[in-house]
Parts: sequence; C-alpha cells; structure tokens
Amino acid sequence: MTTLDATQGRLNIEASADNYLTHTRGVLSWILTLDHKRIGVMYLFAVLSSFFVGGVFALLVRTKLLWPDAVSWMTKEQYNQLFTLHGAVMVFLVIIPSIPAALGNFVLPIMLGAKDVAFPRLNLFSFWLWLAGAACVIASLLAGSFDTGWTFYTPYSTRTEFGGVVWVLTGVFILGFSSIFTGMNFIVTIHKLRPPGMTWFRMPLFLWAIYATALIQVLATPVLAITLSLLAIERMFHIGIFDPAMGGDPVLFQHFFWFYSHPAVYIMILPGMGIISEIIAVHSHRHIFGYRFIAFSSVAIAIFSFLVWGHHMFVSGQSSLMNTIFSAITFSVAIPSAIKVFNWLGTLYKGSISLTTPMLYGLSFLFLFTIGGLTGIHLGTLNVDIHLHDTYFVVAHFHYVMMGSALIAMIGGLHHWWPKMFGRMYSEFWGAIACGLVFVGFNVTFFTQFMLGSHGMPRRYYLYQPEYQIYHVISTLGAYTMAIGFFITAMYLIHSLFRGKLAPANPWGGRSLEWQCPSPPPHDNFPTTPRVGDCYDFSIVRWDEKEGGYIVDRTLDPELNPNAPKRSSH
Amino acid sequence: MNALFTTLATATATAAPRLTGGFWLPQASSTSAASVDWMFNAITWLSYFFFVLIVGIMLVFIVKYRQRGREVRAGGPTHHTALEVTWTVIPLLLSVVIFYLGFKGYLDHVTPPQDAYQIDVTAQQWSWNFRHPNGAQTTDLYVPADRPVKLVMRSEDVLHSLYIPDFRVKKDVVPGRYSTLWFNAPTPTGEDVTLAHNLFCTEYCGKDHSDMNRKVFVLAQADFDIWAENERTKLERTPTDELYWRVGPILYKRCVSCHTLDGTPGTGPSWGPHDGLPSMWERTRQGLQKFADGTSLKDLIGPGKEFEVPEDYLRNSILQPGKHLVAPYGNAMPTFQGQLSNKAIDALIGFMKHLDEFDSKGVWKKTPPPSAPAAEPKKTADNR
Amino acid sequence: MTAIDSHATPLADPHAPAHPPGGAGHGDGHLHSKYPFLAHHFESPAQQFDSGKLGMWIFLATEVLFFGALFALYAVMRFREPQVFAFASQYLDTIMGGVNTCVLILSSLTMALGVHFAQRSKTGPLLVCLILTFLGACGFLVIKYFEYTHKFHDNLKWGPAFYMPVAGEHGAAPAPHADTKLVEVPPASGTAAPEAVVSNVPSYKTPPVDASTIKAGSLGPIGITSPSTAGEAGEGTHGAAAGHGHGDVPHLYDPDLPVDTHQFFAIYYAMTGLHGIHVVIGMGLMVWLMVGTIRNRFNSNYYTPVDLVGLYWHIVDLIWIFLFPLFYLIS
Repeated sequence: MTTLDATQGRLNIEASADNYLTHTRGVLSWILTLDHKRIGVMYLFAVLSSFFVGGVFALLVRTKLLWPDAVSWMTKEQYNQLFTLHGAVMVFLVIIPSIPAALGNFVLPIMLGAKDVAFPRLNLFSFWLWLAGAACVIASLLAGSFDTGWTFYTPYSTRTEFGGVVWVLTGVFILGFSSIFTGMNFIVTIHKLRPPGMTWFRMPLFLWAIYATALIQVLATPVLAITLSLLAIERMFHIGIFDPAMGGDPVLFQHFFWFYSHPAVYIMILPGMGIISEIIAVHSHRHIFGYRFIAFSSVAIAIFSFLVWGHHMFVSGQSSLMNTIFSAITFSVAIPSAIKVFNWLGTLYKGSISLTTPMLYGLSFLFLFTIGGLTGIHLGTLNVDIHLHDTYFVVAHFHYVMMGSALIAMIGGLHHWWPKMFGRMYSEFWGAIACGLVFVGFNVTFFTQFMLGSHGMPRRYYLYQPEYQIYHVISTLGAYTMAIGFFITAMYLIHSLFRGKLAPANPWGGRSLEWQCPSPPPHDNFPTTPRVGDCYDFSIVRWDEKEGGYIVDRTLDPELNPNAPKRSSH
Repeated sequence: MNALFTTLATATATAAPRLTGGFWLPQASSTSAASVDWMFNAITWLSYFFFVLIVGIMLVFIVKYRQRGREVRAGGPTHHTALEVTWTVIPLLLSVVIFYLGFKGYLDHVTPPQDAYQIDVTAQQWSWNFRHPNGAQTTDLYVPADRPVKLVMRSEDVLHSLYIPDFRVKKDVVPGRYSTLWFNAPTPTGEDVTLAHNLFCTEYCGKDHSDMNRKVFVLAQADFDIWAENERTKLERTPTDELYWRVGPILYKRCVSCHTLDGTPGTGPSWGPHDGLPSMWERTRQGLQKFADGTSLKDLIGPGKEFEVPEDYLRNSILQPGKHLVAPYGNAMPTFQGQLSNKAIDALIGFMKHLDEFDSKGVWKKTPPPSAPAAEPKKTADNR
Repeated sequence: MTAIDSHATPLADPHAPAHPPGGAGHGDGHLHSKYPFLAHHFESPAQQFDSGKLGMWIFLATEVLFFGALFALYAVMRFREPQVFAFASQYLDTIMGGVNTCVLILSSLTMALGVHFAQRSKTGPLLVCLILTFLGACGFLVIKYFEYTHKFHDNLKWGPAFYMPVAGEHGAAPAPHADTKLVEVPPASGTAAPEAVVSNVPSYKTPPVDASTIKAGSLGPIGITSPSTAGEAGEGTHGAAAGHGHGDVPHLYDPDLPVDTHQFFAIYYAMTGLHGIHVVIGMGLMVWLMVGTIRNRFNSNYYTPVDLVGLYWHIVDLIWIFLFPLFYLIS
C-alpha cells in the first residue's frame, strides 16, 4: 500500500533496498528481462557503444580532411565507406533509438507511475531487433562494406561494387521495426497507463514529446521499410522500379526515402526537445512556461514533418510548383520550433536557475538549436538553397540540429536521470569541464563548416581545393576538442558507477513521479499507481538536509491531501 | 602532432590560394548571384538579430535568476497568452515574407532566356564532357561572357550534380532524363586558371566523386568565337605525328580518374609500368595482358585472330571496354563509342606509346620543336 | 540508495487505492490471482484488453502505411504508363484471382465467427472456425502458386527475365527470327548471375557491335527490349510460337507490347508477394491460436489473442480486396 511520509514528504516504498539492478542477478536475467528499466539500460549501453564507433569514424574522416590531397593511409574507397558508416551508424543506431528507446524506456513508465510499458515482451523484442539490425550492419562490413552514403540514392546504390549494401539495407529494415514496436508500445502506454489525476494536459512535456515521436515512428517508418526492401530487391533481382536503365525513376526513390527520412529528423529532435523542457523546468525550479503551447507545438511539428520531405530535392529536377509548395510548408515548421525556444526562455524568467551539468547541456541546447534552426531558414529559402544544397552548409546545419541539439539533449538527459538510473552522483566539476569542451569543440567544428559550405565546398569530398584547407584544419581541431570532452564524460560517468556519492531520490528538485521513487527505482517502480497533481508545480518542492536532496512534499498539495494548507495560486 | 602543425603552417602560409569573396559568400560572378546574395545576407542578419536576442536574454536570466543556496522560488507566470500570440505571429509573418522573396528570386532564374547559348553536358563516373553547338568538346567548361548560357545535362550512369559556386547555380544530373540550368557570367576570366571559377559535382557518385571538379573559363565573345573555332578544328589541324603530345594529354583528362600513369592501381589498370609489368603499350604489344576469364592477350593478337595489330586491341578496349576485362578489374568503364573520333583514339594510343615522354600527371616533358607551327593557341588551362 | 524513514509517521493516501483511467480494478493482489492471464503491470483485465486492442490498431496502421507506400508507387507508375497496366493486366488470370478473392472473404467470415465463439467460450466451434480459416489461407496460397508458376513458365517476370525467350520454345518451336541473337548481359556490379536476354533486332539493322559488351546499366528500356522491333520480328512467327501464356501470343511476340511492361510485373510481384508473406504469417498465427484453443486458454474473459489475430486477418483480406481490382480488373 502506498503511504506518504509526512516528514520526508515522498512516497515511502517498502523494501526499497531492493532495486531493479539488484532484483535478480546473472546475465540471463538481463538478456531475458521484461523490466523496462533494464531494457532501457541495455539500450543505453548499446547506443553509447554505437556512438563511440560512429564517433571514431567521424574523427577518421575529419583527420583525413586536414590535407586537401590524397593521403597514404586512407584511400578514397575507405574515406567513402567511413563517411557512409558514420552517417548510417549515427542516424539508425544512435540518434533514432537514443532518446526514445534508451532514456524513454527507462523514464516513461516511471513518470506515469506505471509498473512497466504496456507490452513488456514486445519491448524486449524491440531490443533484440535492434541487436539483430546492428548485427546486420556489422555483417555488411564483413560482406564487403558499403559506400552509398546513408541516403542509399539509386542508381549508385544498386550498382556499387561494394557487397554489403543488401546487408545494411536488411539491417536498417530490422531497425525500422524495432523503432515501430517501441513507438507502438509508448503510444499505448501513454493512452492506457496514465495514473489517476494525470490528464493529457498534465503529462510531463517529455511524455508529450515521446508521444508525438511515437506517432511519427509508427506512421513513417513502414514507408522506409518498404522503400529499402524495394531497393534491396532492385539490387538483387533488377526489377527496375528505381533504375533509369530499365525505365525506372531514381527521383521516385528520393521521394519515398525522404517521406520517411524527413520525419525521422523529428524522431530525433522531438524527444530532445522533451528532455529540454524537463531539464529547464526542473533546474530552474519553476513551473514550465506556456505548457500548452509547448505540447501542441510538438504535435504540430509531428504533423508538419510529413509534409516537407520535398525540400531535400530542390535541385533534383522536381517541378517548380512542387519546389514552391514544399518551400512554403517548410517554413511552417519554423513556427512551432520558435514557440518552443521562446517558452523555454520564459521558463528561465524568475526561476531559481542552478547551473548543474544537465542544465549546462540544456542551455547549450538552446544556444545550438537557435543556430541550427536559424540556418534552416537559409536552406528553406528556394533560391538560397540552390547555392547551399549539398555543401558543407547543409552538413553544418544538420549537425547543429542532430548533434548539437538532439544528441546534446540526450547527453543532458543522461546526466539528468543518471542518479535515478544508477543511484550514484557524478562529479559536477568534471561534468562542467566536459560540457564546456564539448560545447566549444562543437562550435569550432561546425560553425567553420557553415563558412566552408557558403563558399561552395561540396559534401562527401575526399580531395578538395587547397583554399578550403584552413577551415578544414580548424574544424578538425574542434572535433578533437569535442572528442576529449566526450572522453572525460565517459571517464567520470564510469567512475561514478563505482565510486560516486550515493544519489538521493531527488537530487535536482524534480517534481514529476520519477523523482518520488528511490534511486535506483525498485523492480516494480510503485506498489500501486500513485495519484498525481500538477507535475510542474514546484511550490511543494523543498531542500531537505537530512535527505541530502530535494523532497516533494505531497502533504502540501491540495490535490493529494485535502487537509493541505490553502495556498494562493501564483 | 608535428604533421598537424606543419599542415597548419602550410595552410596559413600566404602562398596558399585564398578563397574569393567575403566572410560568407564567394565572389558573385553571374547576373543571378546578386539576388541570391541579398537574400542570403538578409536572412543572415535576421539570424544574427534573433541569435543575439535569444542568447542575450538567456544569459541575462541565468545571471539574474541564479539559484542561491537551495532555494526553490517557484514563482513567475506560467503562461501569458498575449506573449505567446506575439511570438507565434512575428515568426509567421517573417517566414511568409522570406518564403515569398526566395520564391520570387527562384522563379526569376528557372526559365532560361530564348536566345541562350546551349552547351550539352554529359556527366559520367567521373568526368564531365561539354559539347558546343559547333561540335567542339571539352572537359573544362568554356562559356562566352555576358551572354545567357544554357546547359542541357544528362548522365550516363548515376546521379551527378553540376555546381558552380561563383554563379550560385546547381542542378542534379539524373540518368534517364535531361535537366537544365542557365546563367549569365558578365566578367571574362580569360584562360587564366587562377581566375577561373570552380565547377563541382555535388551529388555523391562513387569513388572519385571528389575528382569531378573542373574549371569554368569565361571568355569575351570575340575570344570565345576564336576559341570555339580552334577547338573544333583542333584535331583536324594537328599533324598526325604531333597528335599524341598536342591532343593526347587533353584527352587523357577523361581517363585520369581511373587510369594512372605512375603505376598506382586505380579503378582500372595503370598505363604505366607496375608490378613488374611494362607500360600499357608494351604489355599490349607483348601480349602480357591477362583477362578475368583466364585467357591471355597473346592468343588474341595476330593475323587472322581477333585483333590484327596491338593497336586494334587498345581501340577495342576504349569502344567496348566490357569485352575483355583485365584481371582483377571489374566492369566499370563506360564505352566511349560515339564520343571519340578516330583521330582522337589515335591520339590516345599515341599517348600510350610515348608514355616515357610524359610526367606522372600527363604533362609533356619535351618542348615543341621550334620549327613546328603552333596548331592552336597555347593552353594555359590545367586541371588539378 | 536506500531511503530510511526513521521517524516516519505514515499518512494514508486519501485517494488510494488508485484507479487508472482504463481500469476498474483495485491496486493489488486479488485481481491478479483471480485472472492468471493478467500481466503484473496491468490493474484490470479491461485495461489489459484495451491496451492490446489499441496496440493492434496501431500496428494495423503501420501495416496500412507499409502497403500504402506500395499503393502510392503503383499509383505513380500507373499514372505515368497507363498503357503498360492496361496491356499487362490481360496476362493475369481473372478467374483464379476472383476465386482467390472469394476464398479470402470466406476465411474472413470464418475468422469473425471464431471471434464470436471465443467471446462465448465455445471452444469446439472456435477450433472449427480456426481450422476453416487456416484451410482458406492454404487454398489461397495454392491458387497463388499455380498463378505464379504459370507466369514463371511464360517468363512473365520482372526485369531482364521478362525478355528471355520462353524456355520450351528453344527446342519445340523454331527461333522467332533467324537473325535473333542471344545476348549475354553481364551482371551490373556482380550482384546477380548473368541472364540471357533476347534482342530481336535483325542483325542487318544493327551495327556490327557485339552486344555482349553493353553494360546492363547502360541499357535503356529500348536497349533491353527493342519492343517495337520485337513485335515486327515476331509477327511472322505467331503461329509457331503460340500455345504459351494466357493469351494466344507470348508477350514478346505481341505487336502491341508497350515499352516498360516489365515494370508492371515488378510491382505485381512486389505487392502480391508481400501480401502472400502476410498470409503465411497469418497461417502461423492460426496454428498458434489452435494450440491455445486445444489447451483451453480462451474463454469469455480472455479472448484477446483471437480478437487481435482476427483484426490482422481482416486487414490481410482487405488489402487483397484492393489488390484484386487494381491488378486483375484493368481496362
């Protein structure tokens, strides 16, 4: 039975010494677990490993680009494979599953006060599918690798002599289904397992973001799956649907590909925005500003995301009419994004801003996303895009959005929920240092690339004109700085697992349910579904010395306790 | 690390070529560039404004509302409808304006003028071929100054994209269909390679994608006419025994991305000596070529056999490259049937025969005999 | 972290036990012991059933989009080349397709009845219905098998194979034209075995180029087919080559054969093949349900799997109902 501790003011859960990490032991208890928290942790490990691999690929590519001429230690073929692998690994194995599958899996049911997601078996199956997909990507390396770019444009992808193309297509197909099942699971969980008191407009904004993301995952990914299947069949059996030599149309492939892959961009960024909404509210210790606008803008972005794919093809030869329509709709995406940024700023107003590591990442996000979003206007504008299309300007833009925003949010979220996941605190000092290095390194790397691109440097070039060299050198130095930052992050996080200070239930002053169960949470999260109030009402959160953390004093919430002292609403 | 500093040093050295143009954009060398640049700069200044606004407000709030101790102020408004509407409507209006301006700028430059000078472009892995109305063909792009030029482009194999940054034009070249773009470059560059504009392939097309960059030379109309006429008659005017050094190196530029001269393996076999084998010509003459199907060239050359003379084999390899594949290379070479005249093929075969007279980049090491009249204006154009 | 509340004075949660939105149950224990099928994280059978149903509907939405992409592809292709679809459709067997439609609709009916019986705990009739549905699926696949093999025999296939001479003709019938050459198309980038393609261009019309050197990739639709000349060349030999295919004339010798007809069969096999895979998956699910029924797992309290598989089976049926007219009933 759930009880409330009047003094401690948080849900008192019996036998809390038993947590999900120690609940059962042995490798099999992890591989076969149905516990969303363990699945989330396994995803996290898998995603971070892939991030390391993809990062090494990126560093190799950047190192080559120090020199404009050929280098003896990397051939053109190797370079082409490396940037392809970097893209494919980062998009399909890292960013798409990072926030929903890793952090979302861990946090979502706890935020709902539920014991698990709606379909725990399907959840585990999704993870296995992820592993199978990753295995196929590795198999493709053994089968001769691939050099098609992560976009797999035909007819090059059906002709390239590298033998791993079909393998990687299979891998992405399987990863797609992993993503679909995760999305399905989250939609049903949010619909059916919300706790009493949590109406749609009382859900933490992270859940809104995950919900919008899940909608895109479920509706867009099948199209990618079928497109890539057709491509694989094309390559194996020459059916000719996308092959101009047989009356097919390669531009049709691009339409199908981007019909998924543009929404996929929002699969990556929306959950990041959700995390930022949580981080900024919690670490400013104040009610989120403009809740409904942020929530609706997530859904609006999800809807618009299906209508703008054509902006990837302004120079592909599609008709001027199509270009015009897609350009117009593209601008509509700018509005909800702007609304979010302004509301986050509004949340900082009159808050109590603590510059913890997660918050540093949150503020970095605001900085980087602003740049990423504003440069999107350049690319959405028809005549300017003609000049910038397929140059480093585009590379810089999507790295600001995909990495500077989505991945920085993911790392911010990781720091935000790390104490909850593993029950240990990390070093705030090293956290701030590493965040600074990543932030500076990132800007040095990619801001330079805006200038490269606007001066005309095309993407995916092994050799380049010597006049671009100075920019490439600066960019590569930035990449090394970032790598050092990530290395430090890995070090202090691993250190914290073993030597870190024990974390309190609520180290940051969070208000939503996950901060009201112990760190790490017990196997079942909550014995029964707890009732919730306004999850952004921080007036009942206060610091407790004895606890060494914040507490949510549920006795003060009039919705949870009729005897609570009446407060004047702020 | 040392290598890194050396690189830095060379990169910053004044000798290195500099980017043209300003902080953001390269030089504007076509009539349509101005409006693109205006748009780019307008959006950039707008971005500066919003960036400073957002980050400025953020920094002010961070300092002003810093948490002191462990306080939880929890104050502040939770919503403000007027404010929300304001920051919804302002970006909305701005994006409508920007869209409209971009759209208008775009429409102004989709349709080429009727009187445009047309050049037919063929892209293939990994070279460009520009064919002028008079039949002249080049691998670099030569255009008349101050006159609309229309490129009608097609691809022999995969997707390519033609991009001239200084002109702000770009268009994909899609196999199975024609695509066009046009521009008007008012200022001549002459045939000076340091002034010429870059031309890039911007759609990834495989191994030597980054080698598909060429130069654009803008010639004043009078110079251009002379050039075009010279170019057309170049082959005819060149004496047969001078073909190999006058024309050979120029034609070789279409082969360079796959066939090296110094023995380095490429997409196709090197023409130079390598791995204990003599040069391509000697290999052919002595029948040392081994094929993927196990046969050897020795058995195919000779009276009454498939190839009467060694030259026959080389010619056949250019026109029907898939017929006899040299081990261990794949069937990657496109056919040049219909693209090279007999004389051009003669020039290439001659080039192979006299390979020792060229350096590893295909530049002729000898000087032309003073008696030989220059058959055409000397070219300064050179590709990287 | 272990939280120790040494001076805790527990206060009963005024609203406990909680009621989740979808659930009618009480937090703990007894519902779970009463309903062994109730998963630990659900509060009531109703919540579990609703969740399963919603999940299935979402899955069906992904299925619709999965096929939807192919339908979109079909629409684009047909819009661009209506003559190809009108021509090629005559090679499909409308009777077999029609029978298959009926078989699938019937199996959908038996499936619906199965759900009906499951809701009423009638295990016997449920099993019968499942077996009938399973047989319907088998019947569908058997008929489909005959259709496919017939087309394969006549080389009504995708890609270059479409232009191969029909296997039996080499021996039985004289070559369609004395000057026809058999051309080896080398595999594009070594991903497929070489396939023979007939080029019906009489050799006196062609320059003396050995066509074997033309790369597969550089063959346009004309390059592969020479369809107009294929017609010309074939006209004189109709009689000799008759007797194959659905029509009287093998497709290669039909003077009306439009360019790119192989594209029709590419999309035909892609869509019907994907649908066939779904039928096979459905059969697997039927077997799983039969095992569950024999073990008496389903009753009026718990029939979720039957219900969800039923939904799946209906969507498979529905997709076929779209496929049938789109491919078989053109013109």
